[in-house]
Amino acid sequence: MKSKRDFQFDAIVIGGGIAGLQSALDLGDQGYTVAVVDKDATIGGKMIRLSKVFPTLDCASCITTPKMSSAAHHDNITLFTYCTLDNLKRESPDRVVAQLTQKPRYVDPDKCIGCRKCEYDCPVYVPDDEQGGFNMRKAIYIPFSNAIPQIALLDAENCALCGKCAKVCPTDAVDYFMKPEAITLTASTAVLATGFELSPLDQKPQYGLGRLQNVVSSMQMERLLAPHGPYNRVLRPSDGREPDSIAYVQCAGSRDKSLGIPYCSRVCCMYAIKQAMLLSGALPLADITIYYMDIRAFGKGYEQFYQNAKAMGIEFVKAKVAQISQADDQKVMLRYEDQEGSGGVMERDHDLVILSLGMVPQWNPEGICSVGCGQDGFIKPAIPKIAPTVTDLEGVFTAGVASGPKDIVDTITEAGAAAMEAANYLKALNGSTA
Amino acid sequence: MSEKEKKANSSAMKVLRQERSETIAKARAAVKEQSGVIKGIREALTPAPKTIPEIAEAVSMETEQVLQYISTLKRYGIVGEGAKDGDYFKYELTC
Repeated sequence: MKSKRDFQFDAIVIGGGIAGLQSALDLGDQGYTVAVVDKDATIGGKMIRLSKVFPTLDCASCITTPKMSSAAHHDNITLFTYCTLDNLKRESPDRVVAQLTQKPRYVDPDKCIGCRKCEYDCPVYVPDDEQGGFNMRKAIYIPFSNAIPQIALLDAENCALCGKCAKVCPTDAVDYFMKPEAITLTASTAVLATGFELSPLDQKPQYGLGRLQNVVSSMQMERLLAPHGPYNRVLRPSDGREPDSIAYVQCAGSRDKSLGIPYCSRVCCMYAIKQAMLLSGALPLADITIYYMDIRAFGKGYEQFYQNAKAMGIEFVKAKVAQISQADDQKVMLRYEDQEGSGGVMERDHDLVILSLGMVPQWNPEGICSVGCGQDGFIKPAIPKIAPTVTDLEGVFTAGVASGPKDIVDTITEAGAAAMEAANYLKALNGSTA
Repeated sequence: MSEKEKKANSSAMKVLRQERSETIAKARAAVKEQSGVIKGIREALTPAPKTIPEIAEAVSMETEQVLQYISTLKRYGIVGEGAKDGDYFKYELTC
């Protein structure tokens, strides 16, 4: 595939989540031209998919959407969404080259006005991963209501090619013949802000391998709690019942050598407490229990947040859950050793169980970029103590969870630091060529 | 679009349909099944609003699948949430 489009920027940011957007905005505001590359059809990353953030309980969308919008409308920032990164290489001290593939949207981005007429008329329903799989989207769709850009994309794997979307489109934007397109970006520096994935729900036989009814991941729970979530309220996914008893299983995907994830993901304690507090508000009569090994409330205001949760009546049980199984009446049975109180092996049924899954790297640079990674798969900072955003690849920096688990506050701080390192690198280059 | 362009587009679509015949067949089968389920749910809700277990019984489907359909139909404005009935909500047709 020959590169059809070549672009030149000062900096390339890989990842359009909160870290990538913050780095891009900080660089763009200093007058540098920036390309933001995202594999998804929309920028915003994980943060735009969250309900609220801890410990302030601010609406995640209310914080993220203005950043997304600022980046999209910034004179110095260009978005490359729905693109895969095929190669990122430093060719010389002042030249880093990124080869991308623009995946076909089958909708002309210059013509689409985001009216969603195509989506409403499409006859094919497809489980919507954006909503945790709890409801369905259409085969042609806009990912979610505040996606940026607001451009539809067609899922060719599920398209019946009935022609209805093309027929109703007021701007003739649907193009069934679109092909992948190669793009080459050239810049002097790059920031890797590739983020994370949650560890898989189906990895632990003791926890039902993802096959148990009413056992959901923490990200699925975020969607259930979000105002534009699949049910617009919290319901038991197996039958739509309002749950009376909800449990969180901590360290379900971290601090577990058997899963190959021996490290602590740092944010699970706090997001579980946050979700539990939101659930207390949404379902005041429900019993909410958090089964934990130890609570890691490390950030500013986090310990108080934890104490507030206890004061609200959320029950904290010190125990590592050994087994999760299906009980009668679509309930979920937890078997655990009570490490406080009377002790011993206990069993308890709950209507809904959330696995607090850990963070694993979203991106494996192997074969794409020669940046070094640690044993955990996250990008390895070259000088972790005094310059955590510097990588072992000259003029290539990292920000956010790409280099290891961290919360939003630390991610944004680090994104600013990566932008500053990148700006210093550009300044030094310009000085040397002046 | 001129007649010549229309003809060229029509033959290109024919080729594309052949290339994607497998996915098209899968999608069409899905549409057929989904239309049947949605028709059943509409019929179940026509006389009166119902809860998920009541709809599931009426259409002989698992409650989990019915909830997925109901939340989807709610998203596209076909079904609305009604009054609460015990621990469940009732759902009603909006159009």
